[in-house]
Amino acid sequence: MWRVNHQGQKEFLGGNNDCQGAAQAAEACLNFTPDDEDEQVANEQVSCYNCRYRRWGKETFVCCK
Amino acid sequence: MRILICIDDTDDLESVGTGELAEMLAATINNRGWGKTYGVTRHQLLVHPDIPYTSHNSSMCFEADMDEQQVKQFIDYAAEFLGSKSAPGSDPGLCVAILDQIASLENLVDFGRKAKIAVLAKDDAYELARELGIHLSEHGGTGQGVIGALAGVGLRITGNDGRFKGKVYMNTTDGLASVREIRGHTKVDMVRSLGGKVLEDHETVLIEEALKFVLLDGKSVLLVRPHEDMVKESLWRPCSKQQLKVY
Repeated sequence: MWRVNHQGQKEFLGGNNDCQGAAQAAEACLNFTPDDEDEQVANEQVSCYNCRYRRWGKETFVCCK
Repeated sequence: MRILICIDDTDDLESVGTGELAEMLAATINNRGWGKTYGVTRHQLLVHPDIPYTSHNSSMCFEADMDEQQVKQFIDYAAEFLGSKSAPGSDPGLCVAILDQIASLENLVDFGRKAKIAVLAKDDAYELARELGIHLSEHGGTGQGVIGALAGVGLRITGNDGRFKGKVYMNTTDGLASVREIRGHTKVDMVRSLGGKVLEDHETVLIEEALKFVLLDGKSVLLVRPHEDMVKESLWRPCSKQQLKVY
């Protein structure tokens, strides 16, 4: 589900559209914290896509925790 | 006078978001009697490794009706506000544009559109703001937020970019509401399908959760999709968060 990219960041392998994977990852994460409602993009409440500690890139996001 | 106000790059991962600061600025305008404000919209800009955004690179813009003297007062207030309320290490920018004094709306809109697809420079933003007669200022850090602040005004002017901040809760007895009821209970201008069909007042929308509006054709719009079951003719449901993320 994750890889360490060339900058040493934890990068999500599912890209920008793996809602199920992002939800599963967030369910298993102790650091999940919902971002402002305006920045949430996944239908699942608990999802890395809705977490304030994700930083979006062009293809996917990196986890900042 | 119609004024557009946009801020960007005020937050970090732990702080209050830029949208909340925009709402606080709007509330100050209303509470101090400086003018009347309209909804805050979120505008997505390019995500790129060369852009030092916090997590999503979006700017927040709102419209206000104010006279010129109050605009000056507001700019002084907003400068101090952003200086003190922005997160340490952020690079806040403020743009305040008086709509009928902008020398070229087309150039401003172009800048906004470019900021969605290209990496732009701070100097370009300042140069354009000077040419167009728009207030643009930085209030900490590198001041890089001036790019998004100027771009956000350009995008808001298009009338076709961004989601309105916040959600609207609507009580129903049976989970259904007519378009007429939705328009009566919220500030939405129009209920429209993803395909562009404007719903008529008698059509029905399933209300399962709070409603989120987008900016389309200069209006606040509730986007809907056909209800899968179609148990009732003309039954619709609001688009999901995932569907709205492209706005």
